[in-house]
Parts: sequence; C-alpha cells; structure tokens
Amino acid sequence: MYLNEMNPSVKALTILGLVLVLALLFDPITPLLFTVSVIIITFLFGTFRKKHYLLYLLPFTIFAFGMLWTTIAFADVPKNPGDTVNLIGWEVPREDLLVALSLSFRVLAFATLSLLFMFTTNMVEFLLSLMQQLRLPPKLAYGILAGYRFLPMLKTEFGQIQAAHRVRGLGQESRWKRYRRFAVPLLAGAIRKAERTAVAMESKGFTGSRERTFYRNLSIRKKDWLFPAGMSLLLGVILFLSIHFGYFSWYQGQL
Amino acid sequence: MNVSNLTLNYEDREEPVLRDISFSVNEKETVLLLGASGSGKSTLTHCLTGLYPRELEGSMEGRVIFHDKPVADALPGAVSRSIGIVFQDPETQFCMLTVEDEVAFGLENLQVDPEVMEESIDAVLRDVGLQEKKKAKITYLSGGEKQKLALACILVMNPTMIILDEPTANLDPVATEAFVSLLEKLKRTTEVSFFVIEHDLDPWVSMTDRVLMLGRDGRIFYDGPLRGGLQQYAGDLKSEGISMPRVSELALQAGVVGSSIPLTMEELKGRFPIISGDRHKGEGKESLLGAEHVSWKSVLRDVDVSVEKGSFTAVVGPNGSGKTTLCRLLAGITAPSSGEIWHPFGKKERFSHVGYVFQNPEHQFLTDSVWEEVAYSSADHAQVKRMLEWCGLTNHADLHPFRLSQGQKRRLSVATMLVNDQDVLFLDEPTFGQDAASTEHLMKLLEDKHRSGTTIVMITHDMELVDVYATRVIAMKEGQIAYSGDPEELWEEDVEALHLKRPLRVQLESEAYVPQ
Repeated sequence: MYLNEMNPSVKALTILGLVLVLALLFDPITPLLFTVSVIIITFLFGTFRKKHYLLYLLPFTIFAFGMLWTTIAFADVPKNPGDTVNLIGWEVPREDLLVALSLSFRVLAFATLSLLFMFTTNMVEFLLSLMQQLRLPPKLAYGILAGYRFLPMLKTEFGQIQAAHRVRGLGQESRWKRYRRFAVPLLAGAIRKAERTAVAMESKGFTGSRERTFYRNLSIRKKDWLFPAGMSLLLGVILFLSIHFGYFSWYQGQL
Repeated sequence: MNVSNLTLNYEDREEPVLRDISFSVNEKETVLLLGASGSGKSTLTHCLTGLYPRELEGSMEGRVIFHDKPVADALPGAVSRSIGIVFQDPETQFCMLTVEDEVAFGLENLQVDPEVMEESIDAVLRDVGLQEKKKAKITYLSGGEKQKLALACILVMNPTMIILDEPTANLDPVATEAFVSLLEKLKRTTEVSFFVIEHDLDPWVSMTDRVLMLGRDGRIFYDGPLRGGLQQYAGDLKSEGISMPRVSELALQAGVVGSSIPLTMEELKGRFPIISGDRHKGEGKESLLGAEHVSWKSVLRDVDVSVEKGSFTAVVGPNGSGKTTLCRLLAGITAPSSGEIWHPFGKKERFSHVGYVFQNPEHQFLTDSVWEEVAYSSADHAQVKRMLEWCGLTNHADLHPFRLSQGQKRRLSVATMLVNDQDVLFLDEPTFGQDAASTEHLMKLLEDKHRSGTTIVMITHDMELVDVYATRVIAMKEGQIAYSGDPEELWEEDVEALHLKRPLRVQLESEAYVPQ
C-alpha cells in the first residue's frame, strides 16, 4: 500500500511538520476533523493489523477522555459563568468545555499521526532512509538496529533470571532489593553481548564511516511527494472550513 | 599468515595470557587450535584480526603478519576484507533483522555496487543451503542455521582465511555434524584456509590438516599433525583441558593403541575387545514425581512421564524438542497449560527439595562472594565449608561469583543447589561449553550425589555421558516423549529418527557382531 511503500524520511518529516502546525492551533473543530481524516487515510492507504491499531488507539482515547474531564473539573473561573452547556446532567460553562475539547482532540490528532507512522513504517527501512536521505551517521543507525535486536533477548533473559532466583528461594526480601539482584546479571550479560556484537560487526568490515553502499536503495520518488502535498491540502481545507464557520483560533496560552 | 613471538599481557592480570607464540597458517590449509576454556584462545583471535593491540588494555609483543603485511598497521576494517570470523554465540553476531540484509551488510561495508549484490547473496546462500530462508527473519532461524548464516556473511566477502571460534559450541550433535560437513565441502570447493579454535576435537578429525595445542600457561606445546600430538601428549591432554577424540580415548583406556593411535571408528574396528555391559540397572522402581497429560503452549503436547526415585535420568533429543520445558514443568518452575504435575513436596517448601541448575549459571547468583552464595540458604558454617571443599572452590571463597571460570561457575551453581541436601536435582546441559577437565570434575560430583541417594535429571546432548552415568533415559521429539526407559534398550531403537547417535561403546559392540 502507498503508506507502507513511501519513503520513510519524507513521511516522518511530513508528520513532524503537521504536528508543529497543529500545535499552533487551539480550537475543537480543526483537530477533530483532522483526527477523523487521518484515521480514514491510515485505513485506506496502509496495510497493517487493524486489531492492533485499535488496541493502540485505546489508551490514547482514554487519556484524551481523562484530560477532557480534568480540564473541565479544574478549569479557571470562566468569563461568562452564565453561558453553560448541559453535559449529561452536568452544567458546564461553555468556554471551559471548548477548551477541554480542544485539548483532548489535540491529543488524539497527535496520537493518530504517530500511529499512522508507527503502523506503516518498517524500522529497518526508516533507519536506512535516515542514513541515505538525512545523512544520519551509520555508526548511530546500525547501533540502534543492533540494540533493537537486543530487546527480545533481554526479555527472555529477564524471565530466566526471575525463574532462577525463585528456585533459590527468594521471596522474603523487598521488591527493590530483588530488582537490584536482577540488575547485575542482566547488565553483565548485556555488556558482554554488546561487546560481542561490536566485534562481530567490525570483523565484517564495519567502521562507521559514511563511505558505504546500500543493498536497499531508498530514494525519493515523485509519488513520495504526494503524501506531504495531500496532507497539507487536507489541513488547509479543514482550516478553511473552521475559519469559515467561525470556530478557528490560534493557540494563545490557553491553560 | 605468520605469527611470531607473540606475548600478551592484560593490565589486570599478573601472568601473561599468551607466551611467546609462533606459528603459521598456509594457504588452503585447515589448522585446528586446541586449548582449554580460558587459555586465551579468543584473545589470540583478536590478535589475528588486528583488534588487539588497538583495543587492548595491556601490552602486546611480537608480530602478526598476513600476506606479508603486519596486521596491526592495517586500517580498521581493512583486515576484514581478507580474514573473516565466525563466532561462538549465534545470537550476538548479527545486527540486521533478515537473512538477506545481514549478508548484504558485509558487502555494503566493502562498498560493493548494489547492482551486483543480489547475485552474490543468492550464490552464497545457495552454497550454505539457506536459499529458502533468504527473506526470513534471523530470530526464527535455528542455531545451526544461524551459524550457517554467519558463515555465509563471511564467505560473501571473499576472504582468504576464515577463523572459526568454537563455532559449534552452541549446537546439538546433529546440527554440528551438518555444519562441519558444510565446511568440508567448502574446503574442497574453495581456496580458503580455515583456522578453527576448539576444545572438542571430535567433529573436526577428518577435516584437520594440522593442530596447534595451547597449554594453560599460554604456550603452544605442539604444532603438527593430529595423530602425532595425541600420541606424544596423550597423558597431558586432559589436564590441559583438551578432549581427545572419543575413539582414541577408548582405545587408550583399553590399551589397544599399538603403533598409531586410532582416530576414527574405521581405524578402531577389529582392534577392540567387546566390553561387557556391566551397567548399574534396576534401581529406583518407585516414582518420585511425574506428569500426566501435560501440555505447555505449543511446545509440549500431552506428555505422560515419571521420574523414578534415586534414578539418574538423562533427557535427550534435538534442540527445540521441549527438553528444557519438560524439566521446568517437572521442577515446578513453570505451570503447565493443561494437565497435572504430581510430586510429594508441599507447595511452600518445594524448592528446598528440588534444585534446578540453569543453562547459564550466572543467572542464579545472588550475592557478592562464593562463600555467601553457598551460605545463602543455609547458615551452617561447617556445611558451607564442606560444600566448597567438595566442589573444589575453597580457595576462591572470597571471589565474586562472576569472576570464576566457566567450569567453576557451573560447580558453584550445583553446590548452591545441593547445600540443603535436596532430593531432586535438575540440570540443564551442565557440561555444555566446558572443557574436558571440568566436565569430568562435574560428572564426578554428580555421580557422588547420585550414589548418596539424590535423584538426578539431566538434559544433555552427550550420548557418552548417557551411556556411562544414566540409569534411565527420556528421549524427546517434537514436544512428545519418543522413548522412556532403560538406556540399553534405547540403543536398539531407531535412534537416527530421534536425531541421536549411539555411544561409541555400543557402536563398537554392534561392529563386533558383523561377520568378517
């Protein structure tokens, strides 16, 4: 699908740009419309496991709701206390509700943008593209890749240490002391592994220099520009609509 | 390659690790370096590739010359164009996620044109038999496949010499055999010279042109053909931590060496008297603990098994067949997904009756000294002292457990598990990665305990150990029990189907019955 195949650096920069623009706005309608469109775009142009996406979206939604509630509950004294809205049997000042909604939808807009990137981007391709398009030093990029491989290994090792300590008859000690005991073998193992990987990489001729070729060449093709162009257009249209209907406002230090 | 008068000192050690080492490796030659674990073999590898003295904390004298140029003068990365290394641990030598990316990594470092990369990657994967796995994720490969991949990554860079640092230490016997026969094929078809570092000689006998023997004092005490070395130093090898080929060992024990020491079954045939099977059998009829219809995730399927009281039970089978899972379930470390584990111990005091020695002994250490480690679960001073004496660690009582050698770590973890006179001891491949001397030491301790009534359950790949020590054997295959019972009867089954090999003694006996 288009989102999975496009150049990851272009995708990342586009999303970064959109986040910056969204951070400047503060009204409920613009981020709401934008969130909905981003979700639609993600589902239309990306291939990924839909169930996982919803699972990841859930905590953000809960977080957004929490923010909605706390912002209303702990709001400043409103300028027009008489202007209230009935929210499921609860009289809420209208402006407080608007501020709270803006904040929550902002969170959701950021979340859906990040999820779009996360679910349609291959980690290796992203790093390769960072090296090829954005001149990230290979030393750093391959270091991150090697570390990424380590995570599952550390997880298994942690489980093993936990079981091993249980057999030794641990249990009466405080949790903190127990975790300190885990740390020593885990760290010792990690350092040794890292050293071995480093030696292995060097023995394959890796020096960290930028002079290298790439098996997978990630270039920027013409159609990669479609995403930044399309997304800016989308944001433009939404902005136009909210200005037109009088909802739009800049972020002026509300909250 | 030519090494002359190499001496190497680490900053934090008084004795030099390597002393006055000189040898050479010729083109197209396969040289085997033998030495105990901890004798400086890996250090030597680093010297050969030029990592030392660059990254060394200590001092290094002598010269390493490769193709008429000193290795130490080469730029970082330049040596890798002609010397490749396959390391011991299959997990930690990769940095990419898929097979093809990993092979390409070396080519990218050499700045090979991407246009021709795919072709060389396909060719090298075909050579090592991994062409089907080109797009596969490395995590999902078996240990043997990972080592083949490591070899492919090196081969694709067209080296003139390949160093293999205990490449089969983490593999089961079947995977080891496959890996070595792949190397033999490469030896015939390519111009590469191989430098193999090992303490276990057996798989390498037919491939080796010449051996170097590295002593514990850091000197090379023999340089020449394998047979000559064995003949000359037969008595010293064990104390140097080098294991002889099993055939040779057996011949020595039986005193049928004659003028030339036999190295293979073929050479031993006909010379060997039939050993009578005076196995200690028939003990422990009463079951101590067991499993009924036990399954665990997709690893174990409907397993019924019992461990007899006072038995020495060996659990065998290929890697990934569920041996470790079975033992963890029986010991009560993991709970089964379905089915039941029964045992006579109360839930609370279970682990004062059951000991479990994990594959990596470091995982079990809790304290900062060897003494405290043993004393952790029993405060009795005399008992700790006796335990340390028993496993030969009295002199190291004040050391941090992590500073012990591999063999000592293993013995310490056994000691911590037996200090309360546990009734059952589980061991997960306790002899793995150990040199000959420490394996023998450990097995003596275990036999000692077994005689005094402890039930022992041991996972192993070593059929010779099964033959000598086990009174019962459980063979696993694909998550199920393929055989459970007397070892003697297992050898009559179709053991090849279980990825096992008959022990030498049994092989010889069956040879003897073949009419001449």
